[in-house]
Amino acid sequence: MTAVLDGPTGTEALAATLAERALEARRLVVDMAASERGCHLGGSLSVLDILVAALHRSSAADGTEVVLSKGHAAAGLYAALYVSGMLPENPAPLYGRAGRPYTGHPGPKVPGVRFPTGSLGHGVPYAAGWALARRIGGQGGLGIAVAGDGELQEGLVWETCQVAAAQELGNFVLVVDRNGGQNDGLVADISPLPGLTERFAAFGFEVAETDGHDPAALAELFAGDRSAARRPLAVVAHTVKGKGVPAVEGKAGSHYVTIDATRAAKWKRAIR
Amino acid sequence: MTLSGRDAYRDELTALAAEDASLLCLEADLGGKNHPFQIAHPGRFFNVGIAEGAMVDMAAGLAAGGYKPFVSTFAPFAALRAAESLKLTLGYLNAGVTVVAPYAGVSGAWFGTTHHCLEDLAVLRSVPGVTIAAPYGEAEMRAVIRSAARSGRPHYIRTGRNATYESLDWTGAQPPLVNWEFEADPDDICLVSVGEEGTRLALEARATTEVSHAHLVYLDHEHLAEAATELARRHTRFVVVEEHRSQGGVAEALALLLPRCEVTAVGAGQEWPSTGGDHQEVMTALGLDLPAVLAGVARARHGLPAAATAAGHAHACVR
Repeated sequence: MTAVLDGPTGTEALAATLAERALEARRLVVDMAASERGCHLGGSLSVLDILVAALHRSSAADGTEVVLSKGHAAAGLYAALYVSGMLPENPAPLYGRAGRPYTGHPGPKVPGVRFPTGSLGHGVPYAAGWALARRIGGQGGLGIAVAGDGELQEGLVWETCQVAAAQELGNFVLVVDRNGGQNDGLVADISPLPGLTERFAAFGFEVAETDGHDPAALAELFAGDRSAARRPLAVVAHTVKGKGVPAVEGKAGSHYVTIDATRAAKWKRAIR
Repeated sequence: MTLSGRDAYRDELTALAAEDASLLCLEADLGGKNHPFQIAHPGRFFNVGIAEGAMVDMAAGLAAGGYKPFVSTFAPFAALRAAESLKLTLGYLNAGVTVVAPYAGVSGAWFGTTHHCLEDLAVLRSVPGVTIAAPYGEAEMRAVIRSAARSGRPHYIRTGRNATYESLDWTGAQPPLVNWEFEADPDDICLVSVGEEGTRLALEARATTEVSHAHLVYLDHEHLAEAATELARRHTRFVVVEEHRSQGGVAEALALLLPRCEVTAVGAGQEWPSTGGDHQEVMTALGLDLPAVLAGVARARHGLPAAATAAGHAHACVR
């Protein structure tokens, strides 16, 4: 367990640190949107605060592994890894370039990335398998999967939830970046997810709902010692697609964006 | 008494796990009750339920955590339902995961089309880095399992249902790349056998025709390339017998690897096995039986084109 919450002062200081990292990461994501390739901007921005907080937990080297299952948000992951000190080079100028590992969906050639994700659903069982390995070995640490809400349409997610509950994988955490969007539009229009918290509860999960942009709340959720827990944890994190960039915030059209350098500079100045 | 392939797998892995604490056994509700691994090592046995894709992906997580998972489910569900997981886990991640797949070919027999798998070699052979094996007999299965456990590299091992086969002889700790079960006139054709039923049929055909018989256990591209070199040193005309569709099967691979040789395929064609019967009856319905193998030998000997069988199924002639 990391020393995340050692009093109000510590909590506030940590929240401020994570918030600052997320701001820096957002600027990098906009830089990647301004690359020749463009990027999945909206989902990268919505998931950033979650990733930064989860990577803070894993940086304690207690065996916690963070798997970005919604691999299309690779730009967000690269940026989060960099600002968390887990990626030694700035990925933004190298993103999408020949000979560099920063592809549109992440793979294990990127430092800090263990599993390939992007075909949706797979990151969830990867993290569950990691959690099971830690448990078999009597070791601490969490297997944290960060999935999109659209991704929950994949059967593999629920297959894994069934297994995780049956195996009493209390050290498995599934975080849902609930930004309400997917490739072709809104989740609510394409394949809605009513009663999501109740669904996880029915699968035998502990369930928490949180503001997915609140670093203190996220850090607290990830800080827990779950070595004795018998039920996996689902975190429904309510987020905003395109969060932090007013020009695209809350817009389904932010799903994949390619912009020029001038617009990128403007957007970066407006980041909040 | 000899064991079936899947029983030999369970028994061998259970024994190996007594010495190697990193070995895990995962099943997807098709391992049966009283699984010997579960009895001997309950803390390392996981029946994940009917969740093949999750099982293979979780095995990737377990391998990353330092373990050597062996996962097993029927071949049609492993190779086809969980195909993307196999591509990523066994292929791209090169994870030390072994998939043991019974019910390969039409060994599911009367259980019907959903439980047949005549496409798994085509799928797995196209994924780089996966060692593919189709052992014949208990000794060969045990040797393949030992090798997979030692190597910690990705393996796909296909086997049948409950049928048993007397193992072929070989010397050394591991079966040879090419087991020359019987060597005859190098100017005549050579039977090349693949898998359990392919080898059984080749042995029966060899006893009738007195041609050479080479048995292959490893079927991935790297092993086949080496085997092809050895085959070409002794023969120029081959009849490959395999319980798999000709498309994507071993005959097709050898034809590409041996452009100056003649390769005739005796395998399943384009038909969907959809009638009842036991294993051999379903194979016969597919046109995959001893008369078909003998017809293949005759065609290859006399340089004839592929002919229709009595059952009306044209066998692929890869030449």
